[in-house]
Amino acid sequence: MQVLRRILIAALPVLLFCVPIMAEAHGPTRQKVTLTADIAAPPEEVWAVIGNFQDMSWHPAVHSSIGENGNEIDATRILTLGAEGGPTIDEVLYKYSDEKMSYSYRITEVAVEVLPVTNYSSHLTVKPGAEGGSVVEWRGAFYRGYPNNDPPPELNDEAAVAAVTGVYQAGLDALAARFAGN
Amino acid sequence: MRWRRGLPAIRTLAVAIFGCAAWPVAAEFAFVTNQNSSDLSVLDLEVHAEVARIAVPGMPAGIAVGRGAFYTVSADSKEVRRFALRDGALLAEVTLDGGPIGIAYGAVRDRVYVSDWYNARIWVLDAGDLSVTGELRTGSAPAGLVVSPDGTWLASADRDADQVSVFDLDSGELRYAVTVGVRPFGLSLGPRGRLFTADVGSDSVTVVDPQQGRVVTTIKVGTRPYGISFAQGSGFVTNQYADTVSVFDLETLSVTHTLQVGEYPEGTDVTGDGRFVLVANWFSNTVSVIDAQSKTVVGEIETGDGPRAFGRFVADGYGKDD
Repeated sequence: MQVLRRILIAALPVLLFCVPIMAEAHGPTRQKVTLTADIAAPPEEVWAVIGNFQDMSWHPAVHSSIGENGNEIDATRILTLGAEGGPTIDEVLYKYSDEKMSYSYRITEVAVEVLPVTNYSSHLTVKPGAEGGSVVEWRGAFYRGYPNNDPPPELNDEAAVAAVTGVYQAGLDALAARFAGN
Repeated sequence: MRWRRGLPAIRTLAVAIFGCAAWPVAAEFAFVTNQNSSDLSVLDLEVHAEVARIAVPGMPAGIAVGRGAFYTVSADSKEVRRFALRDGALLAEVTLDGGPIGIAYGAVRDRVYVSDWYNARIWVLDAGDLSVTGELRTGSAPAGLVVSPDGTWLASADRDADQVSVFDLDSGELRYAVTVGVRPFGLSLGPRGRLFTADVGSDSVTVVDPQQGRVVTTIKVGTRPYGISFAQGSGFVTNQYADTVSVFDLETLSVTHTLQVGEYPEGTDVTGDGRFVLVANWFSNTVSVIDAQSKTVVGEIETGDGPRAFGRFVADGYGKDD
């Protein structure tokens, strides 16, 4: 998982603003990560690139995607990361709006070695930005990979936030680069 | 304050659209703490729009409204702040130790009460300058707080003790420690003087008689109940994991409706006329508006990032001169 690992390392400095809700005595608390990026293109053009649940080729960590039922509610996709035969993430769509330019999905199956989270849900949306551009907002809520107290470092809250932040940042950076110079 | 659109302009628009100047009756506002963006959204409940965003450093969750002021608790930075209701100006702040979380305002004694999640106590603060005037010992991990309208007693939901503590505010003595459901977090006072706890560990609401210190009954609700509000003869319970609100009848004390709201619903409160129930959706970054009579969701208002609004958060008086 070279690609994802590289992304994760790159993302580490970003995490400091994402703090757990409170330290707790009763297992994990739900974490939330929200990232936004200004994109130099109108919302319709950006949505045309990212608005298809069955096509995540705009994200540099995603090698391929296969799925069923397009952009219908309960549509599924299996993302293969990195390269052919790489690790996979199974996801299901639970909200979709062309009008609002947004969709929401959950992870139904992923190894914590690939993405150290559980009960993950995510929301991706395009909004109007400054000077005719767009703002892409990507947010996720999840628990860390380790369900009990005293998690190992690679499965604690910080690791979960770092991993998700890394994935979002890489995707948003790629989008910004794709539309740069517009 | 980072930005503020012209309130009068929005009102004029509302009058033009709805053909009435008052909808609902009084001009009311919701003061919603946004934990992840460390600020507070002021929502105009006439026009269903955010009209101001006020910086509240330190990841605020707890909220209370009082006489001419609203109060916030930032759990991360351990700060309690008092802001002017009319313009959101910061009036006072204090940094506490431990783990401040829940907050309630008591009008009769002009005090605010803040629960300390880590140290099994409640701070008593002067509602004006926020100086600490006393402490009360609770069970482990107190969260939600309620002050009786006559100012004679105070109750806390002590999460890790599975109990509600009821204090006599004249003497400061513990009156009752009542065992409720598993891990009570939210605590609200119903219209007939009964207390209701949201038990996150047993997916239930426990009804407590604070005068006699006993449990009346237990109501099964959705997964991970968080907050409770009351309107039109019903209770409205937010269920964090189910993305729903369970509605129960206050006579029969049984669930009559289950409403889909935004994702990860948390704090809830009601407009003064009892017409609308508001629910802060932590993941969706919105507040759902529920018509309490028809028990349907009639609107959704955008907020900052991670709205929690843990406490009472609806008041009038914003945008008014003295």
